[in-house]
Amino acid sequence: MSERRRRSIFDIIDEYFESLEEWAERFTERFMDRPSWNQRTCTIEPLRDIMVTPTEVIVTVDLPYTEESTIKVKPIDNRTIEVSAKMRRKIHFDELGITHCKGEFEKLHCQTRIPVPVYMDKMEVRFKKGILEVHLPRKHEYHIPIE
Amino acid sequence: MSEEVKIIEKKEIPSGAVMIFGFPDVGLVGVIAASHLISELNDLEEVAYMESKLLPPLIVLHEGLPHSPIRIFGNREILLAVSETAIPADALYAIMYALIDWGKKKNVKMMISLSGIPVQNRQDIEELKVFAAASSPEILKMLQDKGIEILREGYMVGPQAIMLQKCAQLGLPALTLLAQCFLNYPDPEAAAEILKQLTNIAGIKVDVSKLLEKGEEIRLRARDIMRRTQQELTKMKKTQEYDIPLYVS
Repeated sequence: MSERRRRSIFDIIDEYFESLEEWAERFTERFMDRPSWNQRTCTIEPLRDIMVTPTEVIVTVDLPYTEESTIKVKPIDNRTIEVSAKMRRKIHFDELGITHCKGEFEKLHCQTRIPVPVYMDKMEVRFKKGILEVHLPRKHEYHIPIE
Repeated sequence: MSEEVKIIEKKEIPSGAVMIFGFPDVGLVGVIAASHLISELNDLEEVAYMESKLLPPLIVLHEGLPHSPIRIFGNREILLAVSETAIPADALYAIMYALIDWGKKKNVKMMISLSGIPVQNRQDIEELKVFAAASSPEILKMLQDKGIEILREGYMVGPQAIMLQKCAQLGLPALTLLAQCFLNYPDPEAAAEILKQLTNIAGIKVDVSKLLEKGEEIRLRARDIMRRTQQELTKMKKTQEYDIPLYVS
């Protein structure tokens, strides 16, 4: 008779995180693997990054060829911001190696979901070296006292 | 050479060259630097390419003709291995081992990997530092004599990590140059800094002014390869480079 090894709580936690990682990978491949530009709207999706600190969320967006005065950052809802910016000059598709269709890009545009609650109305923005930095103070909705 | 990875030679390969790696990593420093080297050094031509089923079913079209995404460009002094696609994390060991074994057979005198080291306050840094690590104490001394700061402690993840370890094992002189850079954004300024140090170490002279002028264009063009590189870096657990090491000695 085969003997079943009892799994420790650490094995179960490891397996749980492994399955979660696999699911996240499949989700990313399924939904994120799409072109980073839109022919219809003539927009390019910029690269972006999010960092969560104990006090704030910092979203950075790489905005090359951008006219600083045209950058717009607006909250879509209490967890999403939209960033758009006009480019200093129109970039023809073929300049970026897109030779199978005609057109030109004139805007960078993206939406980013903020992973934790924040105060959208206290948003601070700076633009340096072509990188937009959006600072959003975190909203701590719960406080659990330590006894 | 592994059966999974083949290097096919198109031209005669010079003996005793310096082999340089420009592979996708943080800030795409190595790829941008390698691409600039190819456009600036007029005598660099494709001398070999890689064929591997470990790579996605992908070719790169140039002027309508197919090319491997991983190619080796060369002249009498340099062999430059460059990748135009993000290398799958699972394939990295086999690909690097094949390239190093091939370089050893071609009697390369040194291997140099060009890459970056991410810093959180990159926007605020005006003068980027270049660090180095090496396969032997003799190469470390040479780097120090040339005024390059040594990366003394910590973790290294990616192609340069495999290269240093394998070359140390084989007794092949090797070093990696790491310029401070953005983690997730293409960084042409960091690539320019690394090329300046390449001149300092290997005497490969290259003008970086065009690279800096074209910085914004490069950042726009490099978004997609950066995005795919980010996905592979996550699989490699690249953020371990930020970890505080626990040394057991």
